[in-house]
Amino acid sequence: MNRRTAHRWLRVLRTPMGRTAAVLVLIVLALAVVGPSPWNARADAVDTANILAGPSAEHWAGTDNLGRDIVFRVLAATRLSIGLALAATAVAVLAGLLLGTAPWLLGRRAGRLVTGVVQIAIAFPGLLLALFFAVVFGVGATGAVLAIGLAGAPTFARLVQTLLAGVASRDFVAAAQVAGVGRFRILLRHLLPNIAEPLVVNATIGAGGALLGFAGLSFLGLGVQAPAYDWGRLMFDGIGVMYVNPAAAIAPALAVLLAGLALNLLGESVAKGFGMDALVGLPASVNPSPAAPAAPAPPAPESAGDDASGDVVLDVRDLTVSFPAARGPIRPVRGVTFAIRRGEAVAVVGESGSGKSVTALAVSRLIDAAGRVDAERLHLLGTDLREPDSAVQRRMLGSSLAMVFQDPASSFNPTQRIGRQLAETSRHHHDLGRRAAFARAVDRLRAVRITDPERRARQYPHEFSGGMRQRAMIGMGLMGSPALIVADEPTTALDVTVQRQILELLTAIRTADDVALLLISHDVGVVSEVCDRVLVMYAGRIVEDLPTDRLGAALHPYTRALTAAVPRMDSPLDRPLPVIPGRPLDPADVPVGCAYADRCPLVSERCRAEDPPLERHPSGHRVACWHARPPLAGERHDDPARDGAAEPASVVETS
Amino acid sequence: MSELSFEDVSVRYGRLTAVDGVTLRVPAGRVVGLVGESGSGKSTLARAAVGLVAPSGGRILLDGEPVRARGRHRPLQMVFQDPYSSLDPRMTIGESITEAIPPGTSRAQRRAEVARLLELVHLDPGRAASYPGQLSGGQRQRVALARAIAGRPRVVIADEITSALDVSIQGAILNLVRELQRELGLSILFISHNLAVVRYVADDVAIMLRGRVVEQGPAARVLHEPGHEYTRALLDAVPGHRLTARSAT
Repeated sequence: MNRRTAHRWLRVLRTPMGRTAAVLVLIVLALAVVGPSPWNARADAVDTANILAGPSAEHWAGTDNLGRDIVFRVLAATRLSIGLALAATAVAVLAGLLLGTAPWLLGRRAGRLVTGVVQIAIAFPGLLLALFFAVVFGVGATGAVLAIGLAGAPTFARLVQTLLAGVASRDFVAAAQVAGVGRFRILLRHLLPNIAEPLVVNATIGAGGALLGFAGLSFLGLGVQAPAYDWGRLMFDGIGVMYVNPAAAIAPALAVLLAGLALNLLGESVAKGFGMDALVGLPASVNPSPAAPAAPAPPAPESAGDDASGDVVLDVRDLTVSFPAARGPIRPVRGVTFAIRRGEAVAVVGESGSGKSVTALAVSRLIDAAGRVDAERLHLLGTDLREPDSAVQRRMLGSSLAMVFQDPASSFNPTQRIGRQLAETSRHHHDLGRRAAFARAVDRLRAVRITDPERRARQYPHEFSGGMRQRAMIGMGLMGSPALIVADEPTTALDVTVQRQILELLTAIRTADDVALLLISHDVGVVSEVCDRVLVMYAGRIVEDLPTDRLGAALHPYTRALTAAVPRMDSPLDRPLPVIPGRPLDPADVPVGCAYADRCPLVSERCRAEDPPLERHPSGHRVACWHARPPLAGERHDDPARDGAAEPASVVETS
Repeated sequence: MSELSFEDVSVRYGRLTAVDGVTLRVPAGRVVGLVGESGSGKSTLARAAVGLVAPSGGRILLDGEPVRARGRHRPLQMVFQDPYSSLDPRMTIGESITEAIPPGTSRAQRRAEVARLLELVHLDPGRAASYPGQLSGGQRQRVALARAIAGRPRVVIADEITSALDVSIQGAILNLVRELQRELGLSILFISHNLAVVRYVADDVAIMLRGRVVEQGPAARVLHEPGHEYTRALLDAVPGHRLTARSAT
């Protein structure tokens, strides 16, 4: 178990439910271990003078038909009840593991047979199987353990098979196979450790189930036989005298309830604790106030809005997005200001974790409830997006903003025809009739250059190729009359040839309908194909805002490095490709000064002390750098970083 | 140094023919770039070479002998596309690399070998005890390269090893591939859908379309005088193509 796993277990214990369940389970286990020794004598003490007595100060739950104290018998029965339940669980887990791993070890044909058998076994209700096995193995504790264990095995086996199949398709398993590691060894080293957590959780819940199952079998007289007794047996005895002393049945029933609940709750809270993963991203800077104006260098209020005439589609000022996290809020976007005009194509470029996608999500109001969006101004076509969600606003967003995501495979509902999914948008936002909406869907599919749109509209998403699905996604955005298309890495999952077509399509739509485009990408090369202007983001801020055709004369060293890193058809083959040394900012500490300082060839003392504000440069760019300057004389115009900032080119990323 | 050759290799999944009679040669000590779009069969060809799928026809030869796809020591090693899925999250990177070292060495030798390999891919040998979750995508891909080399392969197959990475990290990995190839004299089959990337590392280029190789030859020739129209389409689609054209003027 590595540190992360240990940490997760600790996290489970920190939740109130997890803690309660763990304490309960510990108490039950402690009773099972130490229980019988002090109480056996009193539990077995026959008191013929006091037969079938009701609850009293001496006997809290009364006595049984031999005058033995019920409470002590319940306590003393803990060991046997828990022991048998755990033994049955062990049988279930063992048999389940054997059956579940067999397909992996035996290969395809024999494996299929085992899978089939497990599936047939699963079709029978567990209780039926348990009763069947109980009859086969005979009445008694051993029989009951085997019965309940084997009855639980098929479910467990299927769980193992499903989990294994998921892990076995991962590349590290293929890598181990290629390295010549045997199947059994791969099972032990790679597969089982990676499915251990859900198995443990399920075994815990299964133990709770086995406990109940045992109580049931013993209660029916098929389980533990006198003179031995477990909780089920005590209930069996108690039910007979229900009308004389109800406590005799209720006390063991409560014990079953409590122990079963403890095990189930523990399983559930562990499952819950392991399911959620901490948010990743940039934590708030050292300054505890989440408000952007308190940050060391608020972006100049200049820019965006002041040259805003009537044709500004999107106006964003000082946008900050924060998510709550264990060590203070994380701020993936820290004060971003920009505006997009009608028909303009603007790119947001940056490495993973630069905040570019979060910016796009904030603009589309898609930040989930946990996140907090603050902005001085966030206007789409004059509508304030900071106002609470309303039907009017949703309608406005639905018809004037189109969103295109990276993975077209997951943006469509696989069970509905494409045409219907497109039509739904129009029926919802424009009150079109069914037929009119469908006709518009076909028309829009034609608009995104899908051939034979009538036939295609009646097909399901899986019948579309990746590129066609992305076209259909764009078509869905065009069902309204969007003023802005936000495309988040729309071509990253696609092949270069298809990528080219999608980019051309976006350009065509933009020029035809005067639609503004906000294109998010990590690749400067891609955006230079379609955009007029590029916003370069680093660590949640815009560091440079420049026209695309000025990329060769970028003022910020990061922009230059990012541009130079794209391999091109004319990159010199005799030199190493330029790289950006170091790695994107460590989320643990956003520095006081410039976030790029540690990777920058031009870094000075001032950079480390003060964060440069985004300011208008004489050349027309907006740039946030103390050393903003055009490429030096002697630097090649087309790839400045290769010569001017030659240092990073020769440094190989080692951190 | 060894030569890997595919002779009329076909792979079928049920009725679908993923690879259709491919003949391709990776000469000793050279890098062959294999280019094509998803579904063109290039990854299937790679998986057939390392024995992850069985070819339905043809032969895959290493120096004229059929490739051994069983047993502990495999002469072919592969680096996968997604460094987030190709390293076992439950094993330290040292353990992952050790696993690929051929058996028959002492514990101390293996430890020294892991340190040497990590240094070879420019990672701090002290990080052998780190888990993949503590590394960035680029660093994980370096580990994956180290693991492939640990098996003392005669040929390495790199399947889209930079397409899951940011452009800013891609360059560093490509530089590393070139450096390792030169230092160790490896024969490499380098698969990618981006011609600009392939151009940078490959001596020869083969273009795949719908399961067939439609063009192959020296990189300089294929990229400058493409003979097949599909190659021309690929060339035209290189990201930043227009950027190149624009800034050149």
